[in-house]
Amino acid sequence: MKSMLGKKAVLLLTVSGVAVSLVACGANPTTQSKDSASAASEPSGTLHFYTSQPDADAAALVKAFNKKYPNVKVETFRSGTEEVVSKLLAESKANNVQADVLLMADAPTFVRLKKQGLLMSYKSKEGSGIPANLKDPGGDYYGTKIMATVLMVNTNDVKSLPSSWKVLTDPKTSGKSIMPSPLYSGAAAYNVGVFSRQSDFGWDFFKQLANNKVTVSKGNGSVLKSVASGEKDYGMIVDFMAAKAKKQGSPVDFVYPSEGVPVITEPVAITKATKNPIAAKAFEDFILSSAGQKVEASRGYTPIRQGIKAPEGLKTIDQIKIISANPDQLETTREADKKKFGEIISGK
Amino acid sequence: MKLILPRVSICRMCKWILLILIGFLFVYPFIKLVFLSFQTKQGIGLANYLEIFRDPMTWSTVKNSILVTVNSSILAIVFGGFLAWVCAYTDVRLKNWMQVFVFVPYVIPSYVMTIAWTQFIGPAGLINRWASTMAGHKMIIWDVYGLNGMVLLLALTNYPLVFLITRSVLYRIPRDLELAAKIAGARNIHVFRKIILPMALPGLAGGGLLAFISSLDNFGIPSFLGIPKGISVLSTFIYEQVVGYNSNNFAKAAVLSIILGIIALLGTAVQWFLVRNSKTDQTFSEDRSIRFSFGKYRLIIEIGIWLFFLVTSVFPLLAMIQTALIKAYGLPFTLKNLTWSNFTFILQNNDASQNAIKNSLMLACATALLCVLIGTVFAYWRVKKPTLLAKAMEWAITLPYAIPGMVLSLSLILTWSEPISGWKPGIYGTTWMIFIAYMTRFLVLQIRTSSASILQVGEEVEEAASIHGGRWLTRWKKILVPLYSPGIVTGACLVFLTSLSELTVSSLLWSAGNETIGVVIFNFEQEGSTTYSTAFSTLIVLAILVFIVTGSLVKKFWIRRVKL
Repeated sequence: MKSMLGKKAVLLLTVSGVAVSLVACGANPTTQSKDSASAASEPSGTLHFYTSQPDADAAALVKAFNKKYPNVKVETFRSGTEEVVSKLLAESKANNVQADVLLMADAPTFVRLKKQGLLMSYKSKEGSGIPANLKDPGGDYYGTKIMATVLMVNTNDVKSLPSSWKVLTDPKTSGKSIMPSPLYSGAAAYNVGVFSRQSDFGWDFFKQLANNKVTVSKGNGSVLKSVASGEKDYGMIVDFMAAKAKKQGSPVDFVYPSEGVPVITEPVAITKATKNPIAAKAFEDFILSSAGQKVEASRGYTPIRQGIKAPEGLKTIDQIKIISANPDQLETTREADKKKFGEIISGK
Repeated sequence: MKLILPRVSICRMCKWILLILIGFLFVYPFIKLVFLSFQTKQGIGLANYLEIFRDPMTWSTVKNSILVTVNSSILAIVFGGFLAWVCAYTDVRLKNWMQVFVFVPYVIPSYVMTIAWTQFIGPAGLINRWASTMAGHKMIIWDVYGLNGMVLLLALTNYPLVFLITRSVLYRIPRDLELAAKIAGARNIHVFRKIILPMALPGLAGGGLLAFISSLDNFGIPSFLGIPKGISVLSTFIYEQVVGYNSNNFAKAAVLSIILGIIALLGTAVQWFLVRNSKTDQTFSEDRSIRFSFGKYRLIIEIGIWLFFLVTSVFPLLAMIQTALIKAYGLPFTLKNLTWSNFTFILQNNDASQNAIKNSLMLACATALLCVLIGTVFAYWRVKKPTLLAKAMEWAITLPYAIPGMVLSLSLILTWSEPISGWKPGIYGTTWMIFIAYMTRFLVLQIRTSSASILQVGEEVEEAASIHGGRWLTRWKKILVPLYSPGIVTGACLVFLTSLSELTVSSLLWSAGNETIGVVIFNFEQEGSTTYSTAFSTLIVLAILVFIVTGSLVKKFWIRRVKL
């Protein structure tokens, strides 16, 4: 048995050798992460940054960080939140976590990562600027921005802006609204958890939405397309996408409804498996610092630190009426919430 | 004796290398997946299977999947087979241009196809608005959202697979057979039923099978057209499981992927059954002459075909270009809303897209090259020696193409992070990972196309060469490769084009510096920058079309010169 394995291994090596020589001419020299736990306190080496922020935004953050710490080479992996988390969990299953710093999604997602023992606790000196309810008390993760879910309308079809979420349950808007599916979008799953726990919404709100024939689409992106193109008139969508589309000139407008809005905070965290904790800590500190928060604001996000101006068209953190729920509880019930939502929408 | 010895050892070595390569690349990740499906909180057990089997959602999802896939494959065979026959045999004009437009739906990303079609015949689309105006009240003739729309769009995306494989098979059906039959008094319809159809069967069945397994794993179309109607198929259901982030979500996704794999294998079995007794003949060269004349109906047929292309290729292409040229999504297409800035952003201000073009070109070339080598050798072996082992290996190779991209990439991460316990080769996180993924995913395209050609060339040709003393290498070089080349080239083109625009697998496996075209498009699309993603897609699709047109012009010129 052993010799068989040995034989196979040798043959495998030969085969892969052939394959290597076949494509080597064109292959990119890929930089491997170097173990940089050197004694030097100045952050350096390579840092693997996994994020769901749009490419350009992540690049701006890294660029600003590199101005302060030019010796750190940040390698960014960007994909949808769902894909990033799945990749991370697969890496963890294979005992090969490559990520050093994570920045994506919402607090309940990070509660889950924390429970699975993936995060490193770090009391950042910049953490004091972040409101207590928007960070982990143990220092495992910190919110980095305020992303509110707002009500967007198509301005060609809707002449007066609504002020309440209840417009979605009004028989007059039957079949005219759209929302992202919690089965596909983490932000949407968070919203369902929060809304269903408010006394003035609850699961009844979703039953009314179902009766009013609201369309449930894949994610925020498809909500944007559907409302911008006029296929639907009203949509539940994350604020920065609505603001960006409005600014670019799409025929849309949006409001923060009077009952309040659920917000997700795209937390940042350092992985327990990090091979470069010095640089990872410096990066996290930078994101939470005033300088980092200004970068977020300049990219069109509402900063999470108080006292920093929100980008044009968006409200600052103290102007927003936030509705929320306990992230630990939301994490525990997320599966059940999603299931219940699915049953209500499909009319079971 | 001396003459035979090296031949045997070469064969044997090839066989072993193939075995190990396929075992490691294809079977091993699948074993990991199967193993994963049995993992539960309490250890190894059947809990995941029981949970999935008890969920009524599973069965309705499986039912939807089969319904959609079977119908769309049949439709793809009808479209692809008919157009292949028209292009190969009949006297319609502008065939070269027709062949260019066949490619369009295959290379346009699914989300662009769905945007175009919802604008065309969605609830607020062109046709329904027009119908409402005509009727004087709001009415919907047909809505592309839902099962029917999914069937149609999947058929349109995949019929080029049937077209390509069938066409290269049709060219090789000897004219003598038809003439003989006609002299013997057979009418056209009989010739078609008794000769052309049975001989074209390897192509139709091979292409149909590819269409079947491509639509089985397609995520883009059902996620855009199915979810808003509450219809889920296996690929979308699996995605929901994967992103559930549950402790056993991967396991559940693995169970569902295995169900999907079994359906794909059943499709392969149907294909075997069909080509089991397929007819072969000694074929010496391609015959591209006109064999059937539409006579006075030619113009009508041509108009029909161009209308088909107008709706299925030109319209989505224009919709894509239109979106790429607009300042902001949703603005009307008027002169003052137009801009080139989306294109200049892609071409000048975005490092990622330039990197991506370079990486994707390199990856697609390397994948196509290796697939041609391995795929053709394997196809030959599989056709000539249909042993149980060869069949099993063929199944193994089919699987990575059938299971959803997300599941394939997750199982590749699990496999390649530490292939053998304690050995971390450092492949994961590099370009190699994507190369391996493309290899495993697209090899089947080459094998199907090469097989269709090999199946068609009679045993006698090789025997004759053998009798005349042709050795293994000579036989391949002088006889087999030239005879098989239409299939080989078709396969290489398919692998190249598919790798060039691959979206889902790379979106999970890329890492900084090795982004692909698909990654960049996927990222733009995800962050809501539809104008950028359509601009980039437009550039890629146009580049591919230019490539095809130049290719066919060069070929035409070459053939003419050879004839002179």
